[in-house]
Amino acid sequence: MGGVSAYLIPVFALILSATPGLRGAETVWSGLVIAENVAQPQPIPPELTRIEGPLKKFFGYNQFQVIGRSQKTLKTGQEDWLATSKFFGLHVDARGESEAGYVLNLKLYKEKELLLETDAKLSKRSPLVIKGPQIGSGQLLLVLVVE
Amino acid sequence: MKTFEEKWTAWLDGQLSGRELAKFEASLPDKAAAEVEKADARKLRQLLKQELGARTLTNQEFFSHQVHEKIAQEDAETSESSGRRSATTSTWWTIPRLLWAGTLSLAVFLVCTLFVVHEKTPTEESSYLTQILNARVDPVVSPNATVSMFEVKQDRVTVLWTEGLQSLPADYAAK
Repeated sequence: MGGVSAYLIPVFALILSATPGLRGAETVWSGLVIAENVAQPQPIPPELTRIEGPLKKFFGYNQFQVIGRSQKTLKTGQEDWLATSKFFGLHVDARGESEAGYVLNLKLYKEKELLLETDAKLSKRSPLVIKGPQIGSGQLLLVLVVE
Repeated sequence: MKTFEEKWTAWLDGQLSGRELAKFEASLPDKAAAEVEKADARKLRQLLKQELGARTLTNQEFFSHQVHEKIAQEDAETSESSGRRSATTSTWWTIPRLLWAGTLSLAVFLVCTLFVVHEKTPTEESSYLTQILNARVDPVVSPNATVSMFEVKQDRVTVLWTEGLQSLPADYAAK
């Protein structure tokens, strides 16, 4: 009996590991990021570690600091949430879930003023980066990642 | 003192002689009938000897007999061992063998599945990248702003690139 169990456990583990795409509740991290070039850059925040290379390559900055963030676990794919800093607000409205990811409506506000609006299909495997307005010597970036 | 039956049997067998023979034949009431009976008994004895006597085998017959015996013995052994083999074969689908068969089937299934998924992947690669469906900026706030979008497949990152948005002072970077 023990031999059979020892045999069956790896088999079931193999089956489960090979079963693709069993989707459960997933968390979307959304952040307002200030990118700057400084003499002594701070370490990149852990949420951005996986896209550190592309961020530096595309935008040409060496420091990225999160000034506002929100983490939302999506269960129905119809949730909405807000990531805010002192002056900016990113409103995210999830409008459904598909095979590829979530359909989101994004609105960037400066205080009560709408600066930018976009609709995107956010993939689980592919982060979205939006270049916002220039702020001082830096740049506001909006980042959305399915964790 | 021999009885008549003993003397009769001995006479039939030809074992009486001399005075005893003459005395017995003289005592027979019908000697001719007795002689006929004696001849019949002799014929019967010869017939029985011929038909019932143990027949001695010649060398050739003995050898042939031995060979037939050996063949029969080997046939019996062969049928016995094949019976054992068929008994073993009937127990082939034991639980361990079923498990192995199941594992092999699963392995084949997984290989086929991976092959199919691998075949599909290139055509569906774009569906794994985030897609920007549309984008707009407020023309009143930023009249010269433009938006463009691009996907970097190598890094699997999608970027919405804006130009001409209103620049803001550094104070707006506050948390």
